Amino acid sequence: MRVFANLVRPYLVWMSLFIVVPMILIVLYAFTTHGNSVMAFQFTLDNFGKFFDPVFIKVLLKSIQVALVTTFVCILIGYPIAYVIANVDERWQTLLMLLVTIPMWINMLVRTYAWISILSDAGLINTFLKSINVGPIKMMYTDFAVILGMVYNFLPFMILSIYTSLAKMDKAVIDASFDLGANTRQTFMKITFPLSLPGVISGVTLVFLPAVSTFIIPKFLGGGQYMLIGNLIENQFITVGEWNFGSAISLIMAMIIMLSMYMTRKMDKDIVQEAQGGNKW
Amino acid sequence: MKKILILFLLIGTLSACTPAKKTLKVFNWGEYIDATVIADFEKEYNVRVIYDTYDSNELMYTKLQSGEKYDILVPTDHMVERLIAEGKIQKIDLTKITNLKNVDSGMLNRPFDPNNQYSVPYFYGNIGIIFNKNVVDVADLEAQGWDVLRDVKYKDRVYVYDSARDAFMMAYKSLGYSINTTNTAQIEEAFTWLQDMDDKTNPVYIDETLIDNMINGEKDLAVDFSGDAAYVLSENPDMDFFVPSEGTNLWTDSMVIPTNSQNVDLAHKWINFMLRDDVALKNTEYVGYTSPIVSAFEAVTSADGVYFNNPAYAPRLDNPLDEVHAYSPELVSILPDKWTRVKAD
Repeated sequence: MRVFANLVRPYLVWMSLFIVVPMILIVLYAFTTHGNSVMAFQFTLDNFGKFFDPVFIKVLLKSIQVALVTTFVCILIGYPIAYVIANVDERWQTLLMLLVTIPMWINMLVRTYAWISILSDAGLINTFLKSINVGPIKMMYTDFAVILGMVYNFLPFMILSIYTSLAKMDKAVIDASFDLGANTRQTFMKITFPLSLPGVISGVTLVFLPAVSTFIIPKFLGGGQYMLIGNLIENQFITVGEWNFGSAISLIMAMIIMLSMYMTRKMDKDIVQEAQGGNKW
Repeated sequence: MKKILILFLLIGTLSACTPAKKTLKVFNWGEYIDATVIADFEKEYNVRVIYDTYDSNELMYTKLQSGEKYDILVPTDHMVERLIAEGKIQKIDLTKITNLKNVDSGMLNRPFDPNNQYSVPYFYGNIGIIFNKNVVDVADLEAQGWDVLRDVKYKDRVYVYDSARDAFMMAYKSLGYSINTTNTAQIEEAFTWLQDMDDKTNPVYIDETLIDNMINGEKDLAVDFSGDAAYVLSENPDMDFFVPSEGTNLWTDSMVIPTNSQNVDLAHKWINFMLRDDVALKNTEYVGYTSPIVSAFEAVTSADGVYFNNPAYAPRLDNPLDEVHAYSPELVSILPDKWTRVKAD
């Protein structure tokens, strides 16, 4: 087996080249002034100070809000779907899970573009509404369109992780609950749901992180005036040309993400401990 | 050991697949060419063309800055000026561009490159307002000019092409300033004008999707380039085009060869090819932007041409208030930063 240990080396080189080096560059850019030559750096904290501007703070809060709503909607829709899938006959489970993941085979840009022609004022839905003399309803370039796009794109992550934790659950515990006289509702609330929480939490991480940093979904479905933190970073790099400020925002963003990961990890641990503690009888 | 050997063999076969044909890397605006023209070029010169697109001069510049190598770029006036100033593009050998004689002399020797040492025109045009004839009163447009974008009557009915430079251009023109002003007070005033527009009509700022959306009649007013407008008008008869008499930006997109081009000779062939009468005609017919090639321009604007009587195809050249964007290093990041604030607020 020791022979295979060497196989990890190319991966390490790859990792340091394409993950560590870019990270170092971002940190370097974030703490230096504009227009540096490669050799002479001028360190500064101005890039971070610049971010504390009401306009940018508003963008940050809006991003977090949109990501939270997206995550919440994903749990609301994803949990029942995962629950149903985990409880049907095993032959069907594979097929249903396949159906959940099939959309992910197609490029995200294409799928998001498709929503434009569904939601626009002259799109599929409004054409239908017009034929029955209702509407038109303004959907494109609203919160609704952006959150719909995000839920659509990230829902499979939520379903997958909840399904995994439901499927690997020991069914004997549920039988025991019934044997002890609990009804379906009690069993779900006291046994199934608490035991599936680790799945929900990893689902939350998998949805919240991409949702808080995405820039292409708000750009397509929200328009240029729908600016989230991802768009702000993209803007700084591409149109404004302020790579240093862009890097500083990225770093702030990374810190927020790390903090939220830490919090969910901690929650996860607490819940697992509690579930184990509860099983001690 | 055997496995590693197999791995190397695999890599070997993969890299053996590199094409023997010469390749030309073209970086152009999105929706800015008839794709069959690319195929024609490939066939005629037995080469392969790698074609990438961008949606703003700044994006193109950033990509270039990151070390990407191209053989042809199509920047706008001010960006040509910037690329020359920074030594990022090379002189074109005009003796190889035999079709330069096809170009309208009015489109040569423009202020950003007085002797066409570095650039050859590809398309030109101006910026105006596409509007729905059935909804918007032309009298309103004539009375208000760019200020129509601040008319609450059209709240939620407006698209504006997402470009800092062009957004500020409208504000400057509406306020009666030059589009190349460096006066801080005037810049601030234009910034306030744009914020006011953002509040009053709540425009949607988009780029290439604007064309399709206006063909579908999604909004009643859209600030866009004349060439996009010409195409929209030819597809949707409800649409018309208006350029405020207060003035606008008259621009030229030109073909240039970057200093780090890998295939300078082929790049010259491409430029010459694009200036050929038949190629230019096919291209302008498809794209809708105004061709600087005299014969192509005449063909599409003649009585049986695609853009006959199309008010957007032939940009006016006689209004002294129409200006060309110049490159000013000190404004490079100020305007985009302010534009970001308009959009984010």
